[in-house]
Amino acid sequence: MRIKATTFNRVLLGVLLAIALLIPLLIRTNQYNLVLVTTVLLFGVLATAWNIIGGMAGQLDLAAFAYLGLGAFTSGTLLIRWNVSPWIGMILGGLVATGFAVLVGFPLFRFRVREVWYALTSSALVEVLKVAFVMWEDVGGPVERYLPYYSFSLYHMRFGTYIPYYYIMLAILVIAIVVNYRIGRSKLGFYLRALGEDEDAAEILGVDARACKLKALMIYAFIVGATGAVYACMYGFIHPSFFSGARSTEVAILGIVGGMGITYGPLLAAVILVSAREFLRASLGGQMESLYLVIYSVVLILIALFRPQGIAVFFRDAYRKLLSKVTGDEHVLRANTPGI
Amino acid sequence: MSMSSEPILQVSNLTKRFGNLVAVNNVSLQIPAGEIVGLIGPNGAGKTTFFNTITGLYTPDEGRVVFKGQDITGMPPHKICKLGMSRTFQVTKAFTEMTVEETVRVGAYNRHGEDDVMEKVDEVISFCGLEEIRHQKCGDLGLASLRRVELARAMATEPDLLLLDEAGAGLTAAELAELMEILRKLNREQSVTLCVVEHVMQMVMGLCERIFVLDAGELIAEGTPEEISNNPRVIEAYLGERAIR
Ligand SMILES: Nc1ncnc2c1ncn2[C@@H]1O[C@H](COP(=O)(O)OP(=O)(O)O)[C@@H](O)[C@H]1O
Ligand SMILES: [Mg+2]
Repeated sequence: MRIKATTFNRVLLGVLLAIALLIPLLIRTNQYNLVLVTTVLLFGVLATAWNIIGGMAGQLDLAAFAYLGLGAFTSGTLLIRWNVSPWIGMILGGLVATGFAVLVGFPLFRFRVREVWYALTSSALVEVLKVAFVMWEDVGGPVERYLPYYSFSLYHMRFGTYIPYYYIMLAILVIAIVVNYRIGRSKLGFYLRALGEDEDAAEILGVDARACKLKALMIYAFIVGATGAVYACMYGFIHPSFFSGARSTEVAILGIVGGMGITYGPLLAAVILVSAREFLRASLGGQMESLYLVIYSVVLILIALFRPQGIAVFFRDAYRKLLSKVTGDEHVLRANTPGI
Repeated sequence: MSMSSEPILQVSNLTKRFGNLVAVNNVSLQIPAGEIVGLIGPNGAGKTTFFNTITGLYTPDEGRVVFKGQDITGMPPHKICKLGMSRTFQVTKAFTEMTVEETVRVGAYNRHGEDDVMEKVDEVISFCGLEEIRHQKCGDLGLASLRRVELARAMATEPDLLLLDEAGAGLTAAELAELMEILRKLNREQSVTLCVVEHVMQMVMGLCERIFVLDAGELIAEGTPEEISNNPRVIEAYLGERAIR
């Protein structure tokens, strides 16, 4: 009896999800490993969200940690000052990041600021926000502001262990992937991919490029901003160093290495590269910390030379071959299924 | 009613400059609904610029464009497309990472929602004879197929007026004949008005009821293919370039 492709996909997804759910239980005694896997998930979320603006819409956004920082400061400040639950802070943080995205995206897209200019502008934004929050003594300032400590409080999203953060991050990741997948198969997704390739050609076919890019930026900013709330709770403080240009660039790199526009590509890249980075950091010690940037550069160059479409394509093709063997269905070999 | 020559497009005193260069110079013309008209002229005459200005990619420096009775001067391209005008590009602008089917789907979303968009895609793909390459990536296609895909995605937006910028350039005689057949069918069966820019005279002469001639940005002649091929100014313009065929 042959297995249907969709069944096979579901089973595989189920197995992967089960593994993801079991990981913390297997390594629960090792806090360091828990931090590692949670960080992998964090970057998985960021890169997956980035895929919407970067991969689909083709806008080289280098401001992920601007939106993350805004979410973290919104939620963190609400918690510190008014004891507002970070669960609400997540939504509000996402909204603040989205609002900021509109402020930035509206003029940028209105005046057709494109490609390298968009990249530079978004990159500068992160630094501008960092300085602004250092100077804004009421909320930021040069010293860390600590969130109230609880060994286990669901209301405050504060836990003495990383395990709950891992699961929260996993939930956000699943949401980000579903959002990505849905957009990829909808009108917005087709419009984004079209304008990402050629804006004039897309416009001629009825695509309101400006509105579509703004929508993509808003969705991305909301997911990243909401994640920022969890980020603040996880670290236990808020600080302007959250607005990190290097980390923002890293998110874009993961998105590109993973494969532009492929739903699970960025996650795949995050799993491989962030693990490698953290491993190097642990085994080489603090003074060699930035060595991971060398590794990233080498990987980027290799990808640019041999797999400009990203590593996900490699996995996809292999997976399709496997699928066609298992199901005996030649259809799956065709390139018409985005995200698979 | 079909015989009425109510213009679908009225262009008056259109001018487009690039610095000192006047690429389109005070051009006025009318395209009657339901016809196939040609726009010819030597290289650099301003044909592509004329298209870009009409479809909203450029804003004109002077003049007015009225489409189906509505002033569309300075309107963004996506709005003009919604009103029923689309085009192909001389230098193909393919969505290289998308398949043929996906590319056509982008166009089909112009007038269709998720529930019936694929019906439109299927219809256009079979109309243009793209079944065999429907799942291929546009980046892997040859020029002839690419031009056909550009035509298909523009058709999928369901335009009333379709502008074709040198759709026949670089095609073999057989491919050209096929393309002309598709265009005739489109005009006859779906009453789409066509405006074809062509360098290949054979295609224009065989297809068009009316021809406009641009030279150095100016409209120098207008008439039937017969009239145009005997017009001394046209012959002169083309001889200057030794391009007449
Ligand atoms: N974007 C542009 N910037 C400056 N000059 C241009 C531009 N586009 C076209 N031109 C110039 O305008 C003139 C008309 O070009 P074009 O419209 O492409 O002619 P055609 O399509 O008839 O060959 C040419 O001299 C060309 O060099
Ligand atoms: Mg031209």
